[in-house]
Amino acid sequence: MSITLEQVTKHYGGHAVVNDVSLEIGDGEFFVLLGPSGSGKSTLLRAIAGLIGVDHGTIAMHGRDVTRLAARKRGVGLVFQNYALFRHMTVADNIEFALRVRHVRGRVRRERRRELLRLVALEGMDDRFPAQLSGGQQQRVAVARALAHKPEVLLLDEPFGALDARIREELRRTIREVQRELGITTVLVTHDQEEAFAMADRIGIMNLGRLLEIGVPAELYSHPATRFVATFLGDANLILARRAADGIHVGAATLAAGDASAGAREQEVVAVVRPEDVEVAASRAELGSRFVAQGAVDELTFTGALERMRIELENGAALLAGADNGAVPHLQVTRTQHEQRGFVVHPGQSIAVGIRRMHVLPTPLSSFTACAPDEAQAEALTRAPLLTELAARMKTRIATRAEPQLGTGAPASVRTAAFVGATVIASGPQAARHAAWLLEAGASELLVLPAAAGTPQHVLVHSMDEAVRSATLAVSASVLRHVPAEAQYLRELHAGQSQGELAQQLARALAAVPEPMLILGITGLGGFAACCGALLEGGRWPVLIVHRPAGRTPA
Amino acid sequence: MSFRKPSVLPGFGLTFGFTTFFLSVMVLLPLAALVLAAASMHWNEFLRVVSSPRALGSFRLSFGASALAASINAVFGFIIAWTLVRYEFPGRKLVDALIDMPFALPTAVSGIALTTVFARHGWIGRYLEPLGIEVAYTWLGVTLALTLISMPFAVRSLQPALIEVQRELEEAAETLGAGRFYTFRRIILPTVLPALLTGFTLSFARAVGEYGSVIFISGNLPMKTEITPLLIVIHLEQFDYRGAAALGVVMLLLSFVVLFTLNLLQAWGRRRQLQAAH
Repeated sequence: MSITLEQVTKHYGGHAVVNDVSLEIGDGEFFVLLGPSGSGKSTLLRAIAGLIGVDHGTIAMHGRDVTRLAARKRGVGLVFQNYALFRHMTVADNIEFALRVRHVRGRVRRERRRELLRLVALEGMDDRFPAQLSGGQQQRVAVARALAHKPEVLLLDEPFGALDARIREELRRTIREVQRELGITTVLVTHDQEEAFAMADRIGIMNLGRLLEIGVPAELYSHPATRFVATFLGDANLILARRAADGIHVGAATLAAGDASAGAREQEVVAVVRPEDVEVAASRAELGSRFVAQGAVDELTFTGALERMRIELENGAALLAGADNGAVPHLQVTRTQHEQRGFVVHPGQSIAVGIRRMHVLPTPLSSFTACAPDEAQAEALTRAPLLTELAARMKTRIATRAEPQLGTGAPASVRTAAFVGATVIASGPQAARHAAWLLEAGASELLVLPAAAGTPQHVLVHSMDEAVRSATLAVSASVLRHVPAEAQYLRELHAGQSQGELAQQLARALAAVPEPMLILGITGLGGFAACCGALLEGGRWPVLIVHRPAGRTPA
Repeated sequence: MSFRKPSVLPGFGLTFGFTTFFLSVMVLLPLAALVLAAASMHWNEFLRVVSSPRALGSFRLSFGASALAASINAVFGFIIAWTLVRYEFPGRKLVDALIDMPFALPTAVSGIALTTVFARHGWIGRYLEPLGIEVAYTWLGVTLALTLISMPFAVRSLQPALIEVQRELEEAAETLGAGRFYTFRRIILPTVLPALLTGFTLSFARAVGEYGSVIFISGNLPMKTEITPLLIVIHLEQFDYRGAAALGVVMLLLSFVVLFTLNLLQAWGRRRQLQAAH
């Protein structure tokens, strides 16, 4: 492996900018770190270059640990967005800088310079000053300069950001050609997914300091594992579906469960449907794919090769996971010219919608349901800052559910409708009783939320029983993808303790860190109140309970 | 070179006329009067005044201490400006404002303050004395006073130039294998050299003309700690106007030579930069 990162973490002002990143990049690989601004990708690149130290974890190059090695000894070449050329030096002096530092003889220097200028197609520009060159040419000089000392790794930090589209395309091709010719391991940082697709052997996608997924471009596009990657790599419709024994129910259709592991437990899942995988037709009978729902064309945009369409589904509120602004989301559709000619549509027209292909995300937190004894309280709960933030980041919706039985203390064995996704209740004096009631009634993920809770900085994870461990970790991973918090796994707590001791230990651990959140996996409800009552009723921190009753197969 | 060039501000004739008039009345005329006053002396008498050991000693101290003060400011002013530009720390705005204090204080106050601190029984002076270092009433005190009052010029000239030096330039140099000193010498210094020279020039000019702060801390021993401006005042107090004028003319000439040389150096540096840019 050319570059190996292990659990690299970097803080700025108490905030993890790079959060527990592990990654292996192979020899000669072109690796792209893709993410929105502020995702920590540039910080990670700088850490690899050695320009900033890391707080935790190790960085190795070719098997050699370089975590504490100064940048100038790492043998890397770095290219910046704003070129960072030495303006008081000629192109020749810029390129030869690394060689002069190393006291390379003049003749060898000149030869190397000629070779590099040929490589970046700038022959004869030796005596120009950077200010005499165009942006694209300056960046070519910067690439040549970064390669002069024959580094083992080339690092590119948004190198095309300051260039216009045509130059960008050209320079992309040059860099890819140079990279292939030299066979040099390259890491490119960008926020542009098209650029990532065009250049990468593999892509790593970062958000909120975490490296969410790594894969080859086509695989990441067709089979993302997370909502963020699904929506960041191109457009995606996130559809709430129900996984049952006979397949996946999406609206009116039942599709085969596909490769996603089907559990015995019936549960809500999130399906990714690309705009090009949606089919529209005049009527249900004319669809080539499974009919999902009836809808109306809301908006039509012509973009050249493709036609973009927004469709308002008849049961869109129930089917589509929420949009960021809370409005009823629309279904995005793109059609090729060929499809357009086959079936011309007009705004307002009623159409049948089918899905040709979809991909089910293995995410345990599909949606949120705010639950309270009456509708008004449930409604108030949906405005809790942490809940709205989580829902916005997860691109999912918050439903409300009034449960009059909740406050009365009537036995939960009274059959109620199934609880799907994560159920949310307010913390407070009644919280423990409400929680026990809901868990009894079948809620499997229960978030107990203090009204004022903000974004957690530390997420403490503990499972009471080995049987619920993997489910707890899956839920934790899902939460941690959406908040910039550090995870802390409480492994030192053992089941042998009494419930009271355990509760005290959890409270101590929570009190030890700022802005904590607890994710707690439980299997049985015996002694639940004794253990968790104080944790839930204090209202000092959010607690997410993952409940997998013993006897059922963990999903 | 042509006088007339299109520009945003109209009325070149008016502004150029004003410039000439203003410079004449405010700068050239008084200077001419000074030269004239000295010119009424006999050449031998002029030489006697300006080459007396006392006068020569004062020239040496005035220009030597000023050059030293400007050099000190070039180095430490650079460090101060660097700190203010590059680092965020609590009280940065306050420190930044503090830089200008020597501008605002009457120089006599600076002199008194320095003397209080560095006199034999002063706050710092009492610890220096056992070490055999005397500051007040020596050339060291003169240099100290001149450094203090001319420091803002160095810092303020360097600050904008240092803002221009992107941190990425240093990072680029570092990844290319350059050590800190190499980066400083080859990247940072060439970039800020014109500003550094300006800072030095302004500091020097200010120090040469300084009077108020020095007379308190220098002790004014003839030949040892007597600066030229003071000697001029002494001549004036003895109603020896022509002697004072003679010393003034020499100061004028020496200052002009030094400043003109520094300006030439700067112009040369700017031309080189311009060549680099075009």
